[in-house]
Amino acid sequence: MSKLAVAGKSGKQQGLQVCSICGNYCENKTDIKHCPTCNNDISERKNNSLQKTWALLITAIIFIIPANVYPITFLLKNNNLYPDTIMSGIISLVDSDMQGIALIVFIASIAVPILKIVALVFITLAVQLGWRFSARRQLLIFSFVDWVGRWSILDLFVISIMVAVFDKGSLLSVYPGVAATSFTVVVIATLFAANSFDTRLIWDAQRPEINTKTQDKL
Amino acid sequence: MTSAIPTMDTGHVAKCIRCEQVIYKKSWCNPSGLLALCITALIITIPAFNLPLISIHLLGITEETNLIQGAIMMIDVAPLVSFVVLLCAVIAPTLLVLSIAISSVSLALNHKAIFLPKVFKVTRLLIHWSMLEVYMVSLMVAIFKLMNYADLYIGSGFYFFVALLLLNLTIISNYSNHQYWEKYQSL
Repeated sequence: MSKLAVAGKSGKQQGLQVCSICGNYCENKTDIKHCPTCNNDISERKNNSLQKTWALLITAIIFIIPANVYPITFLLKNNNLYPDTIMSGIISLVDSDMQGIALIVFIASIAVPILKIVALVFITLAVQLGWRFSARRQLLIFSFVDWVGRWSILDLFVISIMVAVFDKGSLLSVYPGVAATSFTVVVIATLFAANSFDTRLIWDAQRPEINTKTQDKL
Repeated sequence: MTSAIPTMDTGHVAKCIRCEQVIYKKSWCNPSGLLALCITALIITIPAFNLPLISIHLLGITEETNLIQGAIMMIDVAPLVSFVVLLCAVIAPTLLVLSIAISSVSLALNHKAIFLPKVFKVTRLLIHWSMLEVYMVSLMVAIFKLMNYADLYIGSGFYFFVALLLLNLTIISNYSNHQYWEKYQSL
């Protein structure tokens, strides 16, 4: 750490790079490939951030279709198999007067994954095509998506509890369906997509004249 | 935006001037205190995962369910689902507490262990995958769903699980990866 960073200037302007593992910074030179503090790989921006995000987003978009079309659980009752998709499960919750629970499940398993994919596609497109859209608002959307994303695992936990409770040789048992695996892929892919996206790219993509304007304001 | 860490009092946070995200948090981050919390959490982990969380009475049969059974049961039908549930509800929270415990022991004893950087790195990754609070909400959803079918009783594991969740949240909110790196450097 020979050079001390000054507040109010980006790392790029100061010729510094921040380590993503330990959060310390060092000079950005071509011969510095490892962080001097923790010895992990260091780079100015996450490598191939946009490509990785796109690949994971496309995976999520493909798998969200089977996740919603095919049954996520099968209920075996008196030797009859009753399949349940995500949506039909929510409808049956509403029918049995549990609107609150239905709302939680709806938000966690339908609203959040779709919202997350749409928001990430929008932000990555905005970065890639250099759209004129408030950088701070983009980051706000991103951090909301990042924070809310983990809650879509909820449905998988519920399935695991239901399977365990009902799968012990009684007349009633529950099995996970094809959609459960697809839904898992969607959740994991979106989590990794948000993780591989480098938020600093939002500011890099802003037109230079906007960039200098915001710097004057600060 | 890159900036040197300013001197701050405990409980204050430094925010990025461009995006207003917290970039540095000066929390109560005392290795020996965290170690005590981690050991408590590790002890509570055993009953929380092994004792029954809920039990139901159905057609004269009582069935009990614990956290690990739930994940293991699906392993041949849907291995991926089972793996993710195990990872987020069992493996990640336990490993997270364990890795914070290991790094705290080493920092509390002023011992500069060579494996510490790896432990810090793993801890940072695991924080994202530890989802006990999501599991808690899922448990509530499952309980409400199951009340339609059968009589439901809350098992003893449930209380241990709540305790584990609270401990876990305390540990995560007080742990600061960056401060541990600083302490490691100054050893």
